[in-house]
Amino acid sequence: MAEPRLIRDYQSSLSAQLPASIVDELADGLSETYRSYRRQGLAPDIAAQAAVEEFGEPQVIVDEFARVHPARRTARKLLVTGPAVGACWAATLITSQAWALPVPLSVRILLGLAVIATIGLLAASAVGTTYRLTARAGIAGCAAIAVLDTAMITSMMFAIPSITWITIAAVAASAMRMTFSARTLTRLVAHAQG
Amino acid sequence: MRAEELKGHLDAVLLAALEGGPRHGYAVIETLRQNTGGRLDLPTGTIYPALRRLEQAGLITGSWSVVGGRRRREYRLTGAGRRALAGRRADWRDFSAAVTAALEGRPWPSPA
Repeated sequence: MAEPRLIRDYQSSLSAQLPASIVDELADGLSETYRSYRRQGLAPDIAAQAAVEEFGEPQVIVDEFARVHPARRTARKLLVTGPAVGACWAATLITSQAWALPVPLSVRILLGLAVIATIGLLAASAVGTTYRLTARAGIAGCAAIAVLDTAMITSMMFAIPSITWITIAAVAASAMRMTFSARTLTRLVAHAQG
Repeated sequence: MRAEELKGHLDAVLLAALEGGPRHGYAVIETLRQNTGGRLDLPTGTIYPALRRLEQAGLITGSWSVVGGRRRREYRLTGAGRRALAGRRADWRDFSAAVTAALEGRPWPSPA
């Protein structure tokens, strides 16, 4: 049964904003809704109009899929726990007088920018209103957290003169977050591939 | 009944619609309509994100099939979903009994 242009246009507007697997599912539902109205005796164009109205505004559907995207929940968890991990590292850096370490200014600036960029990506995913922004920013933010934690653990283990319980706490917190980020990243990438 | 009034209960309603066996999105909506005599006026498109959210929570699982040349995603309840549904049903019975008692001015629990 050929479907009217209105149905195809509706699907196209969803395809522009959502991944294929979700669009396939919605297209099946929309098609079933349309066929149901046709079975009730409605003309094709009227049945298509009724089906589209029953489905609701495409943007409402897209927003809802963005809201339930697992990347958003992950980004929020990382943003909430971030200050605690950051505080552990701040305490480590202060107690080991990190400002006296032979780290080039460019590296310090780069690290600062990387932290700011990561927070920005996670914030974009946490409050993003488009599906693709939520998904991509979440995946990038998750990957950036894993890289940052790895870099911090590796560099501090070599750079600081003595290991204290604060250092151990910071490394443990970063390691836990790194593991969480890496595992979640795998799931998010699989989710993105449908 | 409008969608806003169902807020907070949508998950339980969807789980209940899947209790009778695996269903795809449209069949879930049809089941809701049949079970409620058409009183639930939900924008159909918003059911699908809710199903994905329940799947992410491990309460239902989805699988693909091909029907009439179209890909179709079918959902079924998991063990955790059945337990969650039982819990939500018990909560709802308590809640609705309390609200009914409050609205109708009857003591609660109602004397036999």
